[in-house]
Amino acid sequence: MRRTFLLEIVMIVAAVAFLFPVYTLVVLSLKDPAQISQTPLAPPAPPTLDNFTAAWSAAALGPSLVNSTVITAVSLAALIALGSFAAYFLARVQTRLGYGLYVLFLLGIVLPFQLGMIPLYELVSDLGLIGTHAGMVLFYTGVQLPFTVFLYTGFIRALPREYASAAQIDGASHLVAFTRVVFPLLRPITGTVLILNAVFIWNDFFTPLVYLGGSGYETVPVSVFAYVGQYVSQHGLVFAGLVLGALPIVLVFLALQRYVIKGFASGLKG
Amino acid sequence: MTPVTAGRARPARVRRRRFTPASPSWLFAAPALAVYALIVLYPALAGVVYAFTDWSGIGREMSFVGLANFRTLLGDEQAMGSIGNTLLLTVAIVLVQNGVGLLLALGVHARLKSRALLRVIFFAPVVVSPVMVAFLWKYIYNPDPSSGLNGLLGLRVDWLGDPSVALWSIAGMVVWQYAGYSMVIFLAGLEGVPRELHEAAMIDGAGTWQRFRYVTWPLLAPAVTINLMLSTIGGLKLFDQVFAATGGGPGYATETLSTVLYKQAFVFGKFGYSTAVALVLALFVAAVSFVQVYYLRSREVSA
Amino acid sequence: MTDLLHHARVSRGQFLRMMGGLAAATLATTACSTRPDTTATTGGGEAATELKFIGVADQKTPMDELAAAYRKAVPAVRVTASYAPTDQVQTSLRTQLGAGNAPDLHVVYPGNGSAMSMSQIAGAGLLADLSQQAWTGTIPAGFKPAFQLDGKTYLYSAGSSVIGAVYNKKVFEQAGIDAPPATWTEFLGVCEKLKKAGVTPIALGAQTPWVTQLITYALVPSTVYAKDPSFDDKQLAGQAGFAGSGWQQAMEMYLELQKRGYFNDKPNGTTFEQQTSMVATGKAAMAIQVSAVLPDFRKAASSPDDLSMFPVPGADDPAQVWIPAGVVVGLGASAKGRNVEQAKAFIDFLGRQENVNAWAKAIAAIPLTQDANSAIDPAVESFLPFTKDRAVPFMDQRWPNAEVQPVHFAVVQELLAGDSTIGEALKKMDEAYRK
Repeated sequence: MRRTFLLEIVMIVAAVAFLFPVYTLVVLSLKDPAQISQTPLAPPAPPTLDNFTAAWSAAALGPSLVNSTVITAVSLAALIALGSFAAYFLARVQTRLGYGLYVLFLLGIVLPFQLGMIPLYELVSDLGLIGTHAGMVLFYTGVQLPFTVFLYTGFIRALPREYASAAQIDGASHLVAFTRVVFPLLRPITGTVLILNAVFIWNDFFTPLVYLGGSGYETVPVSVFAYVGQYVSQHGLVFAGLVLGALPIVLVFLALQRYVIKGFASGLKG
Repeated sequence: MTPVTAGRARPARVRRRRFTPASPSWLFAAPALAVYALIVLYPALAGVVYAFTDWSGIGREMSFVGLANFRTLLGDEQAMGSIGNTLLLTVAIVLVQNGVGLLLALGVHARLKSRALLRVIFFAPVVVSPVMVAFLWKYIYNPDPSSGLNGLLGLRVDWLGDPSVALWSIAGMVVWQYAGYSMVIFLAGLEGVPRELHEAAMIDGAGTWQRFRYVTWPLLAPAVTINLMLSTIGGLKLFDQVFAATGGGPGYATETLSTVLYKQAFVFGKFGYSTAVALVLALFVAAVSFVQVYYLRSREVSA
Repeated sequence: MTDLLHHARVSRGQFLRMMGGLAAATLATTACSTRPDTTATTGGGEAATELKFIGVADQKTPMDELAAAYRKAVPAVRVTASYAPTDQVQTSLRTQLGAGNAPDLHVVYPGNGSAMSMSQIAGAGLLADLSQQAWTGTIPAGFKPAFQLDGKTYLYSAGSSVIGAVYNKKVFEQAGIDAPPATWTEFLGVCEKLKKAGVTPIALGAQTPWVTQLITYALVPSTVYAKDPSFDDKQLAGQAGFAGSGWQQAMEMYLELQKRGYFNDKPNGTTFEQQTSMVATGKAAMAIQVSAVLPDFRKAASSPDDLSMFPVPGADDPAQVWIPAGVVVGLGASAKGRNVEQAKAFIDFLGRQENVNAWAKAIAAIPLTQDANSAIDPAVESFLPFTKDRAVPFMDQRWPNAEVQPVHFAVVQELLAGDSTIGEALKKMDEAYRK
């Protein structure tokens, strides 16, 4: 018992050290410039919310929150639908061609994004999707598919085939067997897929800047950095902007943390 | 950092079963393949062509130059130096991130009262945007002895300004953000270790270290593989954090392949050459991942 | 090679049908249902044309103001602007230009020497010719290389900014300094006094790459161009180089400031932001900076009126002191855009004297052309005597490629870190220049 107690102390100390950057961020966002330069490390005395009110109105985060939410949510739905279906095929197919297709998907993981950047932009532009949510959804669905397919395929391979087979003996088609029997079994890995893709899509800065800049559909990171670029030298304002930008996804994470960590882990067990 | 990993790729073996239904129709994969081909494969293929041209990145003027860009790369001191930095950074991130991740996982796997909270704290940085994290750490790494990390530790280190320290400072920042990611994957592995095995080993008189070495560690092999893969590819492709923290400086001290190819394309206006560097990086990542998976998977089998 | 795509153009409708299934249906509905009602908020009725502008964060204040003014003057056109930090804008714009889909209006850097500079983009045929507009006739001769390529004007810019010392008057007074220095020796004397008074004489944020160049730029006009005003032409002709020129002396002076301890500790780890706040809060007495960032310093200062500027004297003979005065970052109209004529009309609007004045005022610049209503920021008044015949554009504006400037940044950082010598540094810059 004493050893567990000691370990607990050690872990708590580690956690406190780990939180130092977060402490810095929050403390600076609650200080006025004089406090920041004179007592950068001390807790704010008195704390001020001025930075937050200024950041909120200047960065116009309201509409960006809607844009980010729509883009992230629709992309996730598309990724899960397309990815799980494809993975079901790739995990069950027994031909060389099927295996080749799987490797082809994995190739997408190692390609640096810069390689196809300009042709891709041309394509999205030719489709008339620059400056639209649809263009962003299409982009994220394509770009995150390899990783999604990889995660799903690994998980489905580890599932016993008997579930689907039993359904099929009863005369169900693959489509019915997949949607009724297999997909519900994929819940753990779907959690992992959701989390990793949501984090990536929500936080992505460069693509929405290129595809949405000036359209009025900017996402949260784009708005935050346009704002941050304006107030570079005022750490209080900048950090308040960063807190506001990170807050939505941190709050969602905190609200769902039990499912997030559990889901993430259980999906990768297989 | 795009969370990436590579495959437990092995052709599915044909097994004998009492009832083997036909494979699902390829139509299951068709929509995904269509989107993937359109958004990833086609642009990448169209982009690769630029590696054999002298295109500036804008305008219509370009001519084919054959392999000239690749020859330039071999003689490009800065690009070759950046390969060294890329490797050092990757090795540092892979070792420390996974080392810390494993220790954290072992810590929160024990029956601590605060373990749920601890998990949340260690995983939380993963969900925040890497660019924002870099922005924050730039302040934390400021050289002023009374604020940031120096103020906390009473040091006077020039974290990002000293050419011999900057690369490790960037690694530190990345480790802080992603140690929780490794931790969660290790935790999944630890939860898969049956308690009976530990109990049996204890009865045999095995100490903590021995139990870890001979019971836990071999069973963690799949988690180790995934973690090493993720952090290696992430490290090799790392761009956002380096660019936001130092932009490759001071001097060229933190220039990596990713920052070099970025600068060639968007700062120097040498898109063709940049594509050649990107292509080399892609081959590099693919080769390293392949070797790593091959080696680690064979180790899993023998373990 | 991208022609492959242009020939096989797929219409949006066909494409979405091809994708089939749930994803496409969801895409289409979200795209329609979430389109915000832009006209309702502006209240000016239906905007027939929307002009897209992409700019750097420094342009936000003047651009927002003038776009709103234009909306009042021409209700049928609406300028929608977006801003981001310079590096990101550069990446985003180069991608869009490369894919042949530029915004109607976008940031353009004057002269040559950067990937987003007028010469490089106009040279690729991507900027609309503005030469027909009345305001272009008033561009001062000395500034023409910044605006024009082969005699045609492609850039709009509201004026020029100078590089000099942004200083805190209070801190100077407290150290017993009553007048800004007029010679290099006096400048060193001022630094010494400040150092003795316990403040950092010069804040240097060399962690931010572009800041590294400013001290060299402040000195080179005196050490190079005062002696040889045609240095640029000789360098372009291959008759002169960085090595063996007054650049050597400027770098030596730069490092002398460091050696004497006039910079803050660890400049390579200090950012532009920290540099700004050091001067704004009085921890440091001055920073050698471009006047365009005066608003940043003022925003960070508790009493903005304490801040002013003086020219950095790069020579001991006051007559040999020259200053850098460069055209500020501006904008151009995309030659291939859908609304070229409307975009040009907007630039013509920006070219009116009152709008030049408004833009210049917002960024503390010296207006390109002046009238009775032109306000010149009091902080840059001390530079006016120089602007006529003792001023040179920022050096990079005449460099032949975009590689020299980043090499300059890197070698200054290496020099400050003690990892290189001036000889090596200038050699690297010469190599980049000849690429």
